[in-house]
Amino acid sequence: MTGATTAPDTPAPSGPRIDVGRWMRPALVPLVAIALGLLLGAILILSIGENPLDAYGAIIEGAFGSPDAVGRTLEKATPLVFGGLAVAFAFKGGLFNIGGQGQILIGAVFAAWAGFTFDLPTVIQIPFSLLVGGLAASLLGALVGWLKAVRGVHEVISTIMLNFVAANFTEWLVNTSGPFADPPATNPSNLARTPLINSSAEIPHIGGLPLGFFFSVVVATVCWWLLERTTLGFEIRTVGHNRHAAAYAGINVVLLTILVMTISAFLAGLGGAVETLGVTGRFEPGSNAFLGFAGITIALLARTNPLAVVPAALLIGALQAGTSLMQARTGVPPEIVDLIQAFILFFVAAPVVVLWIIRRRGQEEERLQLTTGWGG
Amino acid sequence: MRRSLKRMALGLSAVAVVGFTVAACGSSGSGSGSGSTATTAQKPTNCAAPENYCVGFVTDVGKIDDKSFNQSAWEGVKKAVAEQGVQADYIETVSQKDYATNIKTFLDQKYDLIITWGFLMGEATTKAAKANPKTTFIGGDQFQATTVPNLTGITFPEAKAGFLAGALAGYMTKSNKVGAVLGTNTVPPVVQFKEGYEAGAKYANPNISVKSTYHPGGADVAFTDPAFGADTAKQMLDQGIDVIFGAGGKTGNGALAETAKKAGAALCIGVDSDQWLTVPEAHPCLMTSAMKLITPGVQKLIAQAKDGTIKAGGFSGDVGLAPFHDFESVIPADVQQKITDLTAKVLSGEVPTGVKQ
Repeated sequence: MTGATTAPDTPAPSGPRIDVGRWMRPALVPLVAIALGLLLGAILILSIGENPLDAYGAIIEGAFGSPDAVGRTLEKATPLVFGGLAVAFAFKGGLFNIGGQGQILIGAVFAAWAGFTFDLPTVIQIPFSLLVGGLAASLLGALVGWLKAVRGVHEVISTIMLNFVAANFTEWLVNTSGPFADPPATNPSNLARTPLINSSAEIPHIGGLPLGFFFSVVVATVCWWLLERTTLGFEIRTVGHNRHAAAYAGINVVLLTILVMTISAFLAGLGGAVETLGVTGRFEPGSNAFLGFAGITIALLARTNPLAVVPAALLIGALQAGTSLMQARTGVPPEIVDLIQAFILFFVAAPVVVLWIIRRRGQEEERLQLTTGWGG
Repeated sequence: MRRSLKRMALGLSAVAVVGFTVAACGSSGSGSGSGSTATTAQKPTNCAAPENYCVGFVTDVGKIDDKSFNQSAWEGVKKAVAEQGVQADYIETVSQKDYATNIKTFLDQKYDLIITWGFLMGEATTKAAKANPKTTFIGGDQFQATTVPNLTGITFPEAKAGFLAGALAGYMTKSNKVGAVLGTNTVPPVVQFKEGYEAGAKYANPNISVKSTYHPGGADVAFTDPAFGADTAKQMLDQGIDVIFGAGGKTGNGALAETAKKAGAALCIGVDSDQWLTVPEAHPCLMTSAMKLITPGVQKLIAQAKDGTIKAGGFSGDVGLAPFHDFESVIPADVQQKITDLTAKVLSGEVPTGVKQ
């Protein structure tokens, strides 16, 4: 301990002495978490008799080894960016949006509907369809926000329940003879799905790279700018830190709660819409599995920083894109990749383990205020 | 002390990062895959060479060891490896969006034959076949509406197999209530099993009531949810249902295992392959299985593909009921006779299942 020999206003150094710059220190926990996750994954791979270097090498090659591969990685990363933004945005406002999955489904199906129903020139069609998807999903968010702000219903409960509602509703919409279903003429096997969107609604690839990804980076930047450089963003973050202090300062907490959830859901819906217009070309139940929940991992990995969501999404997207080659090159089953993601999430969400390892006492920039919902 | 621990941890992480970077730059082609029992011992190498015939097997969203659908097809591939001298490897698909990627992984390595096993992969397979005319493709459960010259779709008349299962259930039920726990209704072969089962039950026993329950999720989860299968089976058993047909990969297996707990009072029927051999926990109740004779069908097609006699378009596989095993003594002789007669008539079409294809 420091003892009386140290001058009172010079605290003794309590952590590693690397001066890595202000932006690097908050990144330390996620980076170490990733390294630990990969390490544990390597141990698991060894335990089934495979070579982790071969496995990881195959993943990297499968994710980045060719222009085709890079395109696939970006395709996988795009919905993760939106999912991560949705969750991160809500966290900034002190809310835990676990409804990303349902919001993505609603966004996807309504964007598909706009895509196959209207045939406007591409410059109008694409933004219009994206907007339709995003707005449809934002309705879910508005409902959740209203329930929380006015009735005190915890958003974790309402969003999870709405996930089920959205999943079943979207499935009903596209089941045979549902209002959005693909008619038998184009659907001989009677699959549950929408018709293909019109070509004017397709988000193109340029040079093999999906434009949707670059759009997601723009949206991430806009989110960051909104949160960090505008008055509204300031108010949102204030509410996120302490609702009561915010109310005392004259901020309309009710309105802001609803607004935050609406925007959060809009972002998720946008992700579903971009996925439909850029990758799948139609809506099929089951084709957007678990994207919403992956968004939570991304948001935590990025420590709710909208800009950091992009590299986090690229990492997870790369892991997923490289699985195919990993299976072909080695005998490692695809679950290992899921496990690695789970380990990373564990270490990020329980930073006490990582912090103990690198012996920091959890200084302000490492502590992560996630949600004030539980009476906090 | 603290310092050295911290240094060690940081050092470890640094080593890990450096190690993976080196691996990326230096990793060569072949891996050393011999981990799980499902893989073949040796990964196929040098598939471009004409003397190596490489078979790539891509599953639908599901596992290679699902003890029915994928596993029986993979068994056919393994038999071809042993008897026809081909080499083979498989990829388990994790997401429906990965179909094209997984097929392409095999194409990039110059595989000669690519088998995609699952109805939902039809579109991706057709597209890949058209784009790669030099590679042979086999699609499992993929009905060929139009013929593509290098693509053979093997289908099985599930409705007939389901019909026989339903008839047996109808003859054996004591409560006049039977049930079915199924994968998803978005996959037509599953629907065919269900419709056949209901038709066969009513054919054998006009007073019967049949309760069929599909998994509510999409194809990505419907075949890998044994907990749902077990819960649904339990509910059915509590309602007095005494014969349960489990038809939905691991979900169905969960239903079988749950029914086995009521051995003596309840019976169960498996699906796709002879699940007596693959789901031992179902032995106490498993009368038979509604089989698509997948393993011999797949092996036959691989052999034909290898010596160039395979025909493009549709190929109809065989179906039948699995042997009764320990239930030989439980099923009355007259019921066994009725089933034998009925099997011949259903297969020949003399007794129509009445199920729309």
